[in-house]
Amino acid sequence: MLPYLLISGLTSGALYAMVAIGLVVVYRSTGHINFAHGELFMMGGFFAYSMITLLGFPYLLSLVLAVVLSFVLGVISDRVVFRPLMKAPGTTIVLATVGFSYLLKGISRYVWGGKGEYLSIKAIVDPAPFFIWGMPVLPQQLVVLGAAILCMLAFVAFFRWTKAGKMMQATAESAFACYLVGIRVERVYTWTWGAGAAVAGAAAVLMAPLTLLTPDIGSGLLIKAFAATILGGLGSMGGAVVGGLVVGVMESLAGGYIDSSLQEVAAFVIIMVVLVFRPSGLFGAYGVRRA
Amino acid sequence: MLRIVTPRSLGLAAVAVLAALPAFANNYLLFVGNLTLIYVILTVGLNLLIGHTGLLAFMNGTLFGVGAYATAILRLDLGWSYGLAIPGGALVAMAIGVLVALPALRLAGLYLALATVAFAQFILWVLLHWDRVTRGPSGIQVPQVDYAPLASSFEQGHYYVTLAVVVTVVWLTVNLLRSRYGRAFVAIRESEVAAESNGIDLTRYKTLAYAVSALYAGLAGGLFAPLLGIVVPESFDLSQVIVQFAMVTVGGLGSVAGAVIGAIGLVWLQEALRAFKELQEVAFGGMILLTILFMPGGVAAMLKRRLPAWREPLRRLVAGP
Repeated sequence: MLPYLLISGLTSGALYAMVAIGLVVVYRSTGHINFAHGELFMMGGFFAYSMITLLGFPYLLSLVLAVVLSFVLGVISDRVVFRPLMKAPGTTIVLATVGFSYLLKGISRYVWGGKGEYLSIKAIVDPAPFFIWGMPVLPQQLVVLGAAILCMLAFVAFFRWTKAGKMMQATAESAFACYLVGIRVERVYTWTWGAGAAVAGAAAVLMAPLTLLTPDIGSGLLIKAFAATILGGLGSMGGAVVGGLVVGVMESLAGGYIDSSLQEVAAFVIIMVVLVFRPSGLFGAYGVRRA
Repeated sequence: MLRIVTPRSLGLAAVAVLAALPAFANNYLLFVGNLTLIYVILTVGLNLLIGHTGLLAFMNGTLFGVGAYATAILRLDLGWSYGLAIPGGALVAMAIGVLVALPALRLAGLYLALATVAFAQFILWVLLHWDRVTRGPSGIQVPQVDYAPLASSFEQGHYYVTLAVVVTVVWLTVNLLRSRYGRAFVAIRESEVAAESNGIDLTRYKTLAYAVSALYAGLAGGLFAPLLGIVVPESFDLSQVIVQFAMVTVGGLGSVAGAVIGAIGLVWLQEALRAFKELQEVAFGGMILLTILFMPGGVAAMLKRRLPAWREPLRRLVAGP
């Protein structure tokens, strides 16, 4: 029982971590949380679904195309929602992303969803489970886990060693100073939004075979990603990954040992406990000044 | 001629029209009218939090639900009369809301938004799974309020009671905003650092603004339960608060009159779109976005530009040069 719960918890945790990474990338560079991030994830899933199931494209091609389309969607959300409001108060920007998320949800329900239909995608790898030390493992779970780790390493490397990554960090630190040294801050923001959405799209393509797609999956996943980022420390990249894995394992254990319906409340409990006892999270919050 | 149109004169005219409505409306129109009034209570409270204090929270739809459920439970399981159950339900909603928000209210504003989204989902889960108290997904059947002592039908009686509550709530809110508390809220919205250096205790005033809006939401819930006759969990999911966000944004953040206008306009729109869920999402999400982008300040700001006598300090939405 325990090993099985652990591996399924780690898999969904890896997924939350990927969604949280996208959230953190945007937060670190712009200082704002994108409340439409869950819907970007959902749209990525539907892009992949359209290409695999409706158009019959091979899986890998669909993966790449879905990530590219998600990137474009991220750039669009930067242009439509964020850039015109860059100087507006944070509350206004959050409200705008909330509006945008509902717009996306409604559009996808109109295009793909009907009224809460479920759409499933074929798995890339053989769906039959195999056994490691006597515990059943779905190959797709390993794929998700591996991809999430890869994705995180890629982002860490990107932030640490590339010029673009350093520009993004510098922009987060002080946009004004970046203007002074000639960094095109707007362009950095655009790339950031695109990158965040692209990770969400990748996560969606990987996750889709394990679960079902509906226009409503975004908000639930976003809350888990929030729990992951708050637990890890708002804005900390490594914290988001660790936080995501912990949230995944905790909800899996709560679901397995106590009551299966408890899976849905683990995120809220984690958020409350962190806010009460350690608001800066495990690894320290980034750029948040205490009120 | 335009000089006589002020928030006050418009408000008095609205009350006169609303008071006359039952004389010529059928029961369906009266129901929608009553629903409109309930949403006015909700948006005035939400606007106090978002528009005046500058705090974004997602709890208003949830605490609306907590108020409705608490009122229903107090009425049915504890046998309280509605006269006690509705205020009791409102207090329960306020207590739960403040208890959950308190850790987040001590931190930067973003945490409140994040924590209350999770809270909204948690309460929905509780309503669905705590069968013994909330009766699960099928909800609670709520009896009507007995207005026989007032020689009135339920529909008319409940409408007038709600109208009286709305008038009281709006009047209280306008006065609250004129007091030192209201000025403190606006100061926090404009600059937390400046407010704090002027001796405003941020946590205390933020909690106060939050508690007032939570109380209003609970009160609205208590009036909503007997109006609908049944409380079910899905009335209070996240889309409930999105609708309210749309109302305060379109009406005008930071304007009490705007909140009232937004609630009146959008309840009727929602009624017209009831059969089309995806259209509702597109409409409300799109309205929030379009208003923020192209009509910052909403209807209230537009009225302020057109009408010379409309004096109302409004939220500066986009920091100008």
